[in-house]
Amino acid sequence: MNADLIMTLIKKDLTLFTRNKFYFILTIVALLSYILIYFIMPKTMDETLKLGIYAPGIPTMENSLINEQGIEAKSFATLEGLQEAVIKDEYPVAIALPEDFFTKLAKGEKPIISVYFNASTPEEMKGAITALVNQLAYLATGQETPLEIQSEVLGPDLLGAQIPWRDRLIPMMAILILGIEILSLASIISTEVEQDTIRALLVTPLKLHHLFTAKAILGIGLAFIQVLLFMLVIGGLSHEPLTMILGLFMGSILVTGLGFLVASLSRDMMGVTTWGMIITIIFFIPALGSLIPGMLSGWAKVLPSYHLTDTISRLSNYGASFSDISVNFIIMLGWSAVFAVAGITTLGRRYR
Amino acid sequence: MTQDAIIVENLSYHYGKILAVDNISFKVAQQEILGFLGPNGAGKSTTVKVLTGQLRLQEGNVTLLGMDITENIERVQARMGVCFEQPNLYEQMTALENLELFARLFNMKTFDGYALLKKVGLEGREKDRVANYSKGMKQRLMVARSLVNQAEILFLDEPTSGLDPVSADSIRSLILQERERGATIFLTTHDMWEADKLCDRVAFLNQGKIAALDTPHTLKQQYGQRSLIVEISKDGQLEERTVTLDKSDTPDVVRDLFSHEKVVTVHSQEATLEDIFLKVTGRRLTV
Repeated sequence: MNADLIMTLIKKDLTLFTRNKFYFILTIVALLSYILIYFIMPKTMDETLKLGIYAPGIPTMENSLINEQGIEAKSFATLEGLQEAVIKDEYPVAIALPEDFFTKLAKGEKPIISVYFNASTPEEMKGAITALVNQLAYLATGQETPLEIQSEVLGPDLLGAQIPWRDRLIPMMAILILGIEILSLASIISTEVEQDTIRALLVTPLKLHHLFTAKAILGIGLAFIQVLLFMLVIGGLSHEPLTMILGLFMGSILVTGLGFLVASLSRDMMGVTTWGMIITIIFFIPALGSLIPGMLSGWAKVLPSYHLTDTISRLSNYGASFSDISVNFIIMLGWSAVFAVAGITTLGRRYR
Repeated sequence: MTQDAIIVENLSYHYGKILAVDNISFKVAQQEILGFLGPNGAGKSTTVKVLTGQLRLQEGNVTLLGMDITENIERVQARMGVCFEQPNLYEQMTALENLELFARLFNMKTFDGYALLKKVGLEGREKDRVANYSKGMKQRLMVARSLVNQAEILFLDEPTSGLDPVSADSIRSLILQERERGATIFLTTHDMWEADKLCDRVAFLNQGKIAALDTPHTLKQQYGQRSLIVEISKDGQLEERTVTLDKSDTPDVVRDLFSHEKVVTVHSQEATLEDIFLKVTGRRLTV
């Protein structure tokens, strides 16, 4: 491997990249936009609990909660209305007391209290609500009351935590930054093919493996530097920085592999745009899951970018450690190898 | 002793079931200019691609600069220059950057891009982006790029295509200078006049085979007919008569014409390579 040849090519590609106004400006503007969006998103969450109540047998229940600090309670006339408000997330938590609440208590039976959660309600909130229900029963009866609490999630369940929106956006934005580099690299390779400059290069001492190595280094470098810069600016490296850097590096390798794949599928820039859009849209799907946990079905895990999203999301927002996500690294490496080999083999066949 | 720079033996190349080059053999001596002539689809480009390592050798043997290309293509490529027919330059880079890039790829320790650009008539436009160049300027830059490494073998594919007569002439002079420097030149062209003036020998390629290979002079002698074009005036109208030379009755025919007709003009005419190509292959070179 001739390092001088590879460095010469990287320098040339960087020159061409900076002179391609579309991708260069897109890269800079996109990066700045993501940073800006991150900082204008709310930093904290409103901790006031909006609680829906359906208690036909206890009309004073809502009044008894008004004085409770941090609770905004509303009584619903029907159970259906209550459930709809929970599904719409107007009231993330609601409780429904049966009409025979007092009758059952008088008989010494346990009344069944239903608690409804919206999918976006954090896990720890569910425990707090159980305590609250017991407190409400005490307020209603004036004594310790034996209860049976049945909880139900309305809509897809959320396994997240009470995470500010800006932090939920971190994986999405990182994925967007990396995803754009699929198109950039594919475009650089495709331009070389379309303008036939690749033939001019290959009748010099430069060989295909030099060319692909240079493109791979460029692709990984461009993606990694941008996403690293983003994470540095937003403070995304505060937890497990080395693991996060490794994760971002793996992500950069993954998008480089996909860049080769897109380039191999395309004969010209139109092909890069078409295939690139298809592949980047699929690439972005798992990132949506970081915004709305529980939205994605299990099938999303087969997408290679799921493991990248999961890595960034868990490191950024859930305090994961290297051992928690190391499997993701292995899977990402595997997918990267598959994409890169498929792309390079296809491209290489055209010039052998 | 002059060594052959290019030795091709029994070269064949297939694209699937299509036979593009059919068992051709030829040699090119050092400092020789060989013209490779043929219509589109005759196999010229395929031959050049195999010789320059763009296509893998399928059948036959190719030795360049004393090295078998199947085993030494990288070493050979370091000592060859290739000028493609279609411009394949980095359009967003300047002419100078294009040349310097290739100089670095060839590991040229000392390289003067300005001097080379001056040689091809691009002085003053060195730092212009190639995208702003005219077709002729791009073609000149293509030629310059093939000269970056002071190659021992130059493969020039239609190097004067699209150039104005003055520029084309300067490129022809440059080709002759390169020959003087010591380079062997493999030239493909459609321009018969250019081949006639530049090439030491020409090869006619037709349907993948070499139909004829010799000096232009020998080919003309072997296949061509010299003739006189005589213009006579008859009843106020001009008529043209062709008198073939080198025939036993030629003197009598000429004498009769001058005795009995009113001769207006007489021109001698020599067979062109185009005529010879048609005679040898039954096809016109330019379709």
